[in-house]
Amino acid sequence: MRFLNCAAAVLAVCGMALSPLASSAHAEEAAKNIKVGFIYVSPVGDEGWSWTHDQGRKMMEEMPGVETTMMESVPEGPDAERAIKNMCSKGYNVIVATSFGYMDAMAKMAKRNPKVTFLHCSGYKHSENMTCYFGRMYQARYLTGMVAGAMTKKNEIGYVASFPIPEVVRGINAFTLGVRAVNPDAKVRVVWTRTWYSPDDEKKAAEGLLDVGVDAIAQHQDSAGPQTAAEARGAYSVGYNTDMSAAAPKAHLVAAVWDWNKFYKKFIDEYRAGTWKNGNYWYGIKDGIVDISAYGAMVPEDVRAKVDAVKADIISGKYQVFTGPVKDQEGKVRVAEGQVAPDDMLLSMDWFVEGVIGTTK
Amino acid sequence: MDGFRVVRRQTPHRWVGLIVLPAALLIALAFCSLLLMIQDKSPVEAAVVLFQGGFGSLYALQDTMLKAIPIFLCSLGVSIAFRMKVWNIGAEGQFALGGVGATWAVLTFPGLPMPLMLALMLACAAVTGGLWGMLPGLLKLKFGLNEIISTLMLNYIGIEFMRYLVYGPWKDPGSMGFPMTAMFPEEAVFPEVIGYVHAGLIVCVIAAVAVSVFLQRTRLGFELCAAGENPRAARYARIPYGFLLVFVLTVSGALAGMAGCVEVSATFNRLQPSLCTGYGYTAIVVAWLSRLRTPSIALFSIFLAGLLVGTDNLQVDLQVPAAFGGILEGFILLCVLAGQFFYSYTFVRTGRKQGGAA
Amino acid sequence: MTWDIFVALLAATVLAGTPLLYATMGELITERSGVLNLGVEGMMIMGAFFAFIVQFKTGNPWLATLAAGLGAACIGLLHGVVCLVFQGNQTVSGLALTIFGVGLSDYLGAPFIGEKTVGFQPFDIPLLSDIPVLGEVLFQHDPLVYLSYLLPWAVMWFFRRTSLGLALCASGESPDAVQAAGLDPVKMRWLGIFAGAFFVGVGGAYLSLCATHMWTQNLTAGKGWIAVALVIFAFWRPRRAMFGAYLFGGIMAFQLRLQALGTTIPSSLMMMLPYALTILALLFSSARGKGRSAPAALGDNIAPGA
Repeated sequence: MRFLNCAAAVLAVCGMALSPLASSAHAEEAAKNIKVGFIYVSPVGDEGWSWTHDQGRKMMEEMPGVETTMMESVPEGPDAERAIKNMCSKGYNVIVATSFGYMDAMAKMAKRNPKVTFLHCSGYKHSENMTCYFGRMYQARYLTGMVAGAMTKKNEIGYVASFPIPEVVRGINAFTLGVRAVNPDAKVRVVWTRTWYSPDDEKKAAEGLLDVGVDAIAQHQDSAGPQTAAEARGAYSVGYNTDMSAAAPKAHLVAAVWDWNKFYKKFIDEYRAGTWKNGNYWYGIKDGIVDISAYGAMVPEDVRAKVDAVKADIISGKYQVFTGPVKDQEGKVRVAEGQVAPDDMLLSMDWFVEGVIGTTK
Repeated sequence: MDGFRVVRRQTPHRWVGLIVLPAALLIALAFCSLLLMIQDKSPVEAAVVLFQGGFGSLYALQDTMLKAIPIFLCSLGVSIAFRMKVWNIGAEGQFALGGVGATWAVLTFPGLPMPLMLALMLACAAVTGGLWGMLPGLLKLKFGLNEIISTLMLNYIGIEFMRYLVYGPWKDPGSMGFPMTAMFPEEAVFPEVIGYVHAGLIVCVIAAVAVSVFLQRTRLGFELCAAGENPRAARYARIPYGFLLVFVLTVSGALAGMAGCVEVSATFNRLQPSLCTGYGYTAIVVAWLSRLRTPSIALFSIFLAGLLVGTDNLQVDLQVPAAFGGILEGFILLCVLAGQFFYSYTFVRTGRKQGGAA
Repeated sequence: MTWDIFVALLAATVLAGTPLLYATMGELITERSGVLNLGVEGMMIMGAFFAFIVQFKTGNPWLATLAAGLGAACIGLLHGVVCLVFQGNQTVSGLALTIFGVGLSDYLGAPFIGEKTVGFQPFDIPLLSDIPVLGEVLFQHDPLVYLSYLLPWAVMWFFRRTSLGLALCASGESPDAVQAAGLDPVKMRWLGIFAGAFFVGVGGAYLSLCATHMWTQNLTAGKGWIAVALVIFAFWRPRRAMFGAYLFGGIMAFQLRLQALGTTIPSSLMMMLPYALTILALLFSSARGKGRSAPAALGDNIAPGA
């Protein structure tokens, strides 16, 4: 008997331990109060990718009835899975994860926690309760490319890039198309740093490009290191993530920027109203999620007018960035004349367009 | 005035560890409490949250076990090398190579039945990890290259090699161009055995038994310990030091490689660049905290894994940065290292006459 | 590759090599006194952190550099407490120091991530900077770079010409002999740890005050470990350490320029290059350098009450 009692006690304890995940009471009670947990791959204090999302989190925090928390520097893989599990068990009913590598963990947890809504940025898996969302940053890249192409004198532009994944390759290609739309002779040189965020390495990579003879620097990195390198050498620069003009006032032409607040506000409003539909969303300039920053003072009026006109065409849908003919580095036609590259091609892009010097390997 | 003098103990003290270890932990915790107080956070609350996160529920315990499995295997590996005073810092790279070996098996022989597939994956991982461990052994034997440096450099190279494969030849065409292999088929995933703790646990048990038997029951194992105690005497006893050197590094690497296999198979289900998150370094901490004894390695693997898992909770509930786990880990090790002094030394009171003799 | 690019590469080599030079020289001093301190990475990043904080609060880069050195030295003294007082294992203690230092800098620095600061600005040394090639390569940098030129010679002078330096090196070779000569080898080792950690910290200061002018986590990104490797590469000789630091810095700078020039070598392989070449360089030098080995008592503790 005594043994049975003990066993029952153990079972009860186990049951209590299990309950937070299994119970749906949390979800119902929390319908009034939305608890949102954010998971970031890097520290938020960096004014980079995670920072742009954390702005959205801070905005949510201000909204009535919304409670948030966040975890930063969470490695992709089992640690992310645990982080999500931890948040679910604490009654968070919306989980936001903003790095591609969280996709598997999120999809797995979404299956186990059907009452929780999962938002995953930059991946491709989605389900009943999991949304994948991203922005068509390439549209803004194209516009910044036009500015850089118009401003370069040596007809060579450097691009400091993080990792050879489709998102980054797509950005480089759009940028290059923009550059060559206004300056067909210009070339874009790419250096991979193999890091998202390392101010020293990024700055050194930009200096390497400047040494080789480029006179403008663009970046797909989270620090302003490349900007300061351009500023110090009297070259031009194109920012990313946020308006980086403070880091390089004399060099900063324009930046391709994220504004996630619009998305997060829309989400909270629709979620509360019960009209939010999970799915696959890829927002463009039209939706205000991506944009270009204010121009630097050195950008002349005619260039601004030209870029603004294309921006208006992109918003109205009259122009699309990857409109054929688009040739790759070997000169092979990848998008035929008059055609527009389908989203599938953009999402899995692993080749460079003509005019890029570098390798996607 | 009385003074104290340091005296070497005749025989290492047996139960002094019972005092030293908790004392060292307490000092480390006190220091970390101080850090928390700087940032206006209650240390008591933090300790509760930390414990709950690591050990406080069935889920927490399972998560802790999941993290402890790779740490244990790596630590078992480095502890063998440490016994011979061979400083294998390269578990991280050997772990990565193990992941590569296991993935190679899956990609090359798809469709094998599960037991065969898992055995093959483990074997391949042991071979690739073992080779990666053998290399610094050979370099030391032939060129006298310091193994601390070579294993460390091979970490960087091994991880980059793994990345090269997932960014290039092994990239799954169906992954929209993202750097990862295809999902492993079900046959190549270690099944869950207790709750969602996977069969890597069984691998740990088998490895632990094998290593203990080897060290205590075989001649080679005995020679290995002897060579670590006193290399010069070992040479007189004609113990093959060179062979043992390469041997321990190979075994060490093989065990880390198996950890890599378990990790890609059971928790990632595919090879992707974020495989390496520092288990190889934590393993060294564990090996030393447990004074290279296998049962203690198991305990400390779980303890440190629990700490790391618990710091998640600190972040979610109290917004304490993730780095806190590292501070705790590093400082505990420093305190324990200092505390180990008392295993072999003791303080003796000296009278006025001998005062200051030390 | 044109001449201009080559000269720029050399200048970049000096910049990339400078933090390594400070850290390597620091570890070299410590190891010459007989103490192996693998905590370079941890001390270096703490140095970078202290430098940033002091610069941020006071605006004085020289004070910041001093704080970096002293701060790193305080962290290094933990190693002294564990190994010199409590006879702990030097290899493991150093490793623990790295884990601890990296964690602590992350933790304390979290509120400041991304904050910018002024730090040192480059200035051209009059006359010298006008020398063709040499001027551009050597004399158009930050003050900390200029100081680093003197460091190897200063350390050599200290080792060879001062009684303190001689005693310090002797503690690394034969502590018993030092004891017999009536000196305390343990004190020499304290000095070795302190001075070594000081320079490692200054190497960290270079990263936050000169290279990036900001604070962020993982600023050292493995440079401390490279320094440990370079000490062995240098056979514990200061001038060779300088050569090693520039060699490694040069490889990193070269790798980036090779990419910029449009190489088709996969970037993963480029990232391996510095580490693979370090092993090769060590192999090459150890094959030729038999007999010029480590300080004889390196890594051995001095038993108390002996």
